[in-house]
Amino acid sequence: MKLGWLIATVCLVCLFGFTMWLGIWGFAPLNSRPLAMKDALGPGPGFFPFWLAAIGISLGVLLLIEVYRGPAEKPDTASLIPERAAAFRIIAIVVLLAAAAFALEPLGFRVTAFVFIALTSLALGLVSPVAITISSLLGSVGVFHVFYQWLKVPLPVGPYDYVLKPLGL
Amino acid sequence: METLDHFLAGLSAAMSLQNLAFALAGCILGTLVGVLPGVGPAAGTAILIPLTFNLDPAGAIIMLSAIYYGAMYGGTITSVLLNVPGEAASVITCIDGYQMARNGRGGAALGIAAIGSFIGGTFAVLALVVVAAPLASLALKFGPPEFFALMLFGLCLVTGLAGRSLVAGILMTVVGLLIAMIGIDPVRGAPRFTFGVPDLYDGLGFIPVVMGLFGVAEIMATAEKPYREVIKTNLKNILPSREEWNASIGPIIRGTGLGFFLGLIPGVGSIIPTFMSYVMEKRLSKTPERFGSGAIEGVAGPETANNAYANAAMVPLLTLGIPSSPTIAVLMGAFIINGLTPGPFLFVEKPVLVWTIIASFFIGNVMLLILNLPLVGFWAKILEVPWQYVCVGTLLFCILGAYSINQSVFDVWIMLGFGVIGYLLRKLDFPLAPAILGLILGPQLEKSLRTSLEMSAGDFTIFLTRPITLTLLILSAVVLIVTALNLAPKQIREASDD
Repeated sequence: MKLGWLIATVCLVCLFGFTMWLGIWGFAPLNSRPLAMKDALGPGPGFFPFWLAAIGISLGVLLLIEVYRGPAEKPDTASLIPERAAAFRIIAIVVLLAAAAFALEPLGFRVTAFVFIALTSLALGLVSPVAITISSLLGSVGVFHVFYQWLKVPLPVGPYDYVLKPLGL
Repeated sequence: METLDHFLAGLSAAMSLQNLAFALAGCILGTLVGVLPGVGPAAGTAILIPLTFNLDPAGAIIMLSAIYYGAMYGGTITSVLLNVPGEAASVITCIDGYQMARNGRGGAALGIAAIGSFIGGTFAVLALVVVAAPLASLALKFGPPEFFALMLFGLCLVTGLAGRSLVAGILMTVVGLLIAMIGIDPVRGAPRFTFGVPDLYDGLGFIPVVMGLFGVAEIMATAEKPYREVIKTNLKNILPSREEWNASIGPIIRGTGLGFFLGLIPGVGSIIPTFMSYVMEKRLSKTPERFGSGAIEGVAGPETANNAYANAAMVPLLTLGIPSSPTIAVLMGAFIINGLTPGPFLFVEKPVLVWTIIASFFIGNVMLLILNLPLVGFWAKILEVPWQYVCVGTLLFCILGAYSINQSVFDVWIMLGFGVIGYLLRKLDFPLAPAILGLILGPQLEKSLRTSLEMSAGDFTIFLTRPITLTLLILSAVVLIVTALNLAPKQIREASDD
């Protein structure tokens, strides 16, 4: 736990340092320009982020000292690193969400949601093909129908609308 | 008199068939959100925002508010029957509620929670009607320095009560404020930290960030440790016995006052009133040894305080534009999506709309009582839905919700990124609430600070020469010093640590 806190705090300090650096000097390769600390009317666009980053760095260092000097804890890796099966489920969720984000506009909501639900259900341990098929259909076509048709929420239709629409899906 | 007229006009609008339907739908969905472990009220309210896209602003806010207080009640059911709180405020109900369920009195525990919630919520709405207009009038006299100090005070309270380390709490607030800096500068219009990416010009979407931090992260945590077995208890007899009634009246009255009072203070999270109510009832009890083994007072007091708080917490939002908790911050986001800015000007510019929303709280409380007493068995059945379906459904709604706000896949990536960050921060026990409040208050806080400094030609003493500003800054410093030196009352410290 202590190691985790130290790593997280160092990451935060680096983030604040990077923000401050970007604010003062900018970074051409990242298309970032320096922000003025002051202008004719008063504090400029760089004023607030600069001081926030400065406070963040100071607090980060303070937290590093607090954690480093705090009572030594037993290595509690069990609570930080999930067991194998749980780690698989978590990684599967992240990968499938990323895949869904990639596929959402090219394939449309219905196809993406159908595949996403089916694969996520399998990854989380559901085994019944009937239950997975029904929930995938309800979650993709059913949800699309409710949100797109009834509630007029704009969702990506995808290239297969000419096939799905005549089928009533 | 004018307030009463406005309230009656609002009540009449809230009683329209359409708004009643929105409130009912919100109560049902909210209770469902609260009942399903793995979906907290903040994430639940955020992912259901797309449902309201084509509603008029009043209907949308009525529905989302009903989801909010429905979720606050729904969390009780899982606390009693699963020993797993559906949301943070129900943590304390687990102690005696779960024991009552094990003793075969789960129905009575849920019954008294519903009745106490109704009484606490209804009183809080009536008190809200009385205090909202005067408070909004007072807030109209505030200038940028006062608003800056008020927001700082709210952030200090959230930070101070956020968790085990004050430094970590402030650090997370700073993170939230810095994330809010991404996009167009609210005063001069200059792009900041956008790296030439057009999607970043509007800043990181608040709703996708909340969905990530509270929705996706929560699902990842649930997938790591799926929840436990539901207790089989007697849910047929949900009305408490005469002895249980007598024991509950005092806690309900005290819980109402405590919850309402604490809800008025911007920045006090929902867990503090419930925890303080529990400690108070235990101290006042002649038989404190019963607490922990199924004392009904341990359910009645905290649950009443919880609902009184939930309704009273709308006061700082509606009158000052300051959210007290992540869920209220999501509601504030919903106001903004609907083109409304919560705060004192809303009472001047759209009085009927504000009073319609306030009146709908009252209707919502009645609906929740009607829904929850006879339908306890139904909600208990929902707990038996396999956790995998809950996870998959929530993730799907997160994708749908994040995408549909701006029809942008970029927001889905933001949600996913913050989901991973939120999961890691949860594992490390970093508080997330200060980051969320920092994120939503960031632009206003910066605008108030910079406008104040423009008013004073860069002189910081402007904050020390105005009485309200000075008082609020002193109070902010007191909160931080009390937290840093560990001087807060023991029960508040324990609640914050939870």
